[in-house]
Amino acid sequence: MIQKKICMIGTSGVGKTSLVARFVSSIFSDKYLTTVGVKIDKKVLTVDGTNVTLVLWDLAGDDDFQRLQLSYLRGTAGYILVADGTRQITLDQLLDIQARVMEAVGPVPFVLALNKADLQTQWEIGKERIEQLTAQGWHILLTSAKTGAGVEEAFSDLSRMLLAPKP
Amino acid sequence: MEDFEELRRLLLGREQEQIRDLNSRIEDKERRVRDVSVVLPHAVKLSLERNGELDRALQPSVENSLRIAIQKKPEIFVEAFHPIIGPIVRRSIAESLRGLLQSLNQTLENTFSWQGLKWRFEALRTGKSFGEIVLLRSMVYRVEQIFLIHRETSLSLLYVARDPTASKDSDMVAGMLSAIQDFARDSFEAGADAVLEEFRVGELEVWIAPGRHAYLAAVIRGSAPRDLRLALQETIESVHILKGAELAQFEGDSAVFESVRPELEACLRAQYQPAASSQSRQIKAWLALAGTATLLLSIAWMAWKSDGRWRDFLQRLNAEPGLAVTANKHNWFLKSRVEGLRDPLAVDAAPLAVAAGLDPARLIFQWKEYLALDPVSVRRRFEKRFSVPAGSKVTLKNGVVEIAGTAPFEWIEQLRREALFVPGISALSERDLTLLYDPARVLEKFQAAFPLPAGVVADFNSGSLALSGRAPYEWVAAVREGAKRIPGVTAISEKELEVVFDPARVLSRFEARFGLPESVSASVEEGILILSGEASHAWLARVRPAATQIAGISAIREQSLVDLDEQTFRQSKSVIETALIYFLPNKENFATEGFVALSRLPDEIRRLQTAAKRVGATIGIEIRGSADAVGSEAKNIDLSERRAKAVFDFLVSCGLDAAMFKPLGLGAALVPGEKAAPEQANRRVAFRVVSPPSSVAP
Repeated sequence: MIQKKICMIGTSGVGKTSLVARFVSSIFSDKYLTTVGVKIDKKVLTVDGTNVTLVLWDLAGDDDFQRLQLSYLRGTAGYILVADGTRQITLDQLLDIQARVMEAVGPVPFVLALNKADLQTQWEIGKERIEQLTAQGWHILLTSAKTGAGVEEAFSDLSRMLLAPKP
Repeated sequence: MEDFEELRRLLLGREQEQIRDLNSRIEDKERRVRDVSVVLPHAVKLSLERNGELDRALQPSVENSLRIAIQKKPEIFVEAFHPIIGPIVRRSIAESLRGLLQSLNQTLENTFSWQGLKWRFEALRTGKSFGEIVLLRSMVYRVEQIFLIHRETSLSLLYVARDPTASKDSDMVAGMLSAIQDFARDSFEAGADAVLEEFRVGELEVWIAPGRHAYLAAVIRGSAPRDLRLALQETIESVHILKGAELAQFEGDSAVFESVRPELEACLRAQYQPAASSQSRQIKAWLALAGTATLLLSIAWMAWKSDGRWRDFLQRLNAEPGLAVTANKHNWFLKSRVEGLRDPLAVDAAPLAVAAGLDPARLIFQWKEYLALDPVSVRRRFEKRFSVPAGSKVTLKNGVVEIAGTAPFEWIEQLRREALFVPGISALSERDLTLLYDPARVLEKFQAAFPLPAGVVADFNSGSLALSGRAPYEWVAAVREGAKRIPGVTAISEKELEVVFDPARVLSRFEARFGLPESVSASVEEGILILSGEASHAWLARVRPAATQIAGISAIREQSLVDLDEQTFRQSKSVIETALIYFLPNKENFATEGFVALSRLPDEIRRLQTAAKRVGATIGIEIRGSADAVGSEAKNIDLSERRAKAVFDFLVSCGLDAAMFKPLGLGAALVPGEKAAPEQANRRVAFRVVSPPSSVAP
């Protein structure tokens, strides 16, 4: 069984924890997020015939009260950036965070999950912005923790990227 | 140039020689092998002195070589190991026995000590097994889980645990352990290489043994000694030696680290509190063993005794008539149970239990009633129903009750009526039995059957019924006929009894026996039957000899009693004997008046015949022919015979029996005693009835 460390990264309230809550095995409570700053879950899935265990490090949201602990990123095989589609600012902040992550862990695979896709009427992130990021090589998925839409795909796509032969 | 070369040779010639020699050593493979063979033993020796790193490094290769060799030529290893297999097995068995004894010591010590009792209470209170509590409380430390964690990725490379089912997901725990380390390092700015070496949570400690690429996290219960840390450190170093490359290039596939599982499992150490000193422990163990043995022997002895008592009890039950045990269960602690069949008259089982040494209160009997047919039960049933009187001897054999000796009649009567209704009794035999009759009961029965008339006294003694006083004949007759049917009455004494006859009843009995013709009147006076009137000869013939047989008739007196048949006989006889049939002179032809007289004779003769028959007489009639004195005697005799014959023929022609008649020719002679008659009177035939019945006067 192949194991991969994956980090969930995003500002507070974008729905990182909700995004994984319905799709992972968990033995720790959410209070670890506010105490230790991370909660570790596990997701086992099969990608293209290969079983992969994703050890998910759900990092506490980066905000005015709590900074992202970069040490938790050490050794991560990839990460999922999460932004709230109904709040443009979360994506802006996420770009700063991604820069710091890139600096800490290098060019490892990642996907961007624009969450709360079920609230399209309140959507703030424009299509142009998404296309722009896509053009930069970002892999972007619209997800909804409420309906589950796009969540499995986010994990699968990232796993596929992790298992792809390195150039 | 040459000078330069010369100068170099002078200055560096020796070194160049050495370099050439060194080159030769490096390039010459054979020489290099020889060199290595010289230093290799020293190097191996040195390496062994340095914590056995060489051993660990060589281990995979040696293992692989051995595996291949065993697969290819196992017989070599069989031959090599054969001499040592026996000692190995013996030693292994000895070790096992030693461990068993130690375990027994510990168990005994924990079982019989105050501490052991406390632990038992704790086990009850917490719901854990006693063994678990013993282990926890007598434990110094125990390494319960070991994580091999990749430092870079924080992923779990390998996980071993004493109880794998009790642990949570090792991948997530490993991650969280790393996160905590990072958290601690970041929080206290301890530096990138700083390691959170240990932390304690309740009874658990987590010790971290860091390595370059991975670290061990050992979860320990209790207080582990410092040398465990050294062992952990050696293990992580060993893992790095064995799997250094795989650790450095780890990309997420942890399967390659399975081969170091034995190293990690070796770290699952434990230490328990030493028991009491060996001697003390042995004494305690022996005491405990002795106590246990004594206890077990006592229990076994008690069980054996108890089983013996129980078997004795069952034997007693089964031997007891009227009890049949069909099932039993002997319980030591609960009440024992006996099921079976019980005759209602069988003895109570509780005293049998007491006799066998058992407490009846600890027994449950479930009896179903049945009628036992064994001789004892049948006899009990018989004796309960029929109380055997003194003097009677009762024996029971094959269902036949034999009664001998003496017994009251009433008791026997009850037996005869009811004995065969008793289950188990098929017949009653009264051989050599003398019945005893109670005189009062006999008299009571007699008087019930024959109420005593006034003036009559009855007494009973030795089978004889004595009657006295005056009693009507009818009562006496009934007594005579029926009194002996009363059990006990064998004779009737009437010595003192005067029988009184009622004339009307006597006459009634007479009439009932003989009948009384209408023409006869009868009366009884002082025992004499007085008859008058007319009666047939047959009736009189019945009455005369038998009338006195009627009780109350001692004699017959006939007053003006006429025997009608005898009277008819005499009358007819007289008519016939006075009849005269006259003939014409000198002829055998009837005279007119003679023929008239003759024509009346057949009926009269028939009447006479009938009467004679009724009176029982046999008669004959002589036809006596006569002739007048005219003519010779011979002629007259002939004539008289012919005249008798003429009458005879006439009577026979009238249907009368010829044998009855006897024609006689008397000639002219007169009939003796007959007066001489005129001549005409002699030309006749007269008749004489002969052989009259003796009872009838001629």
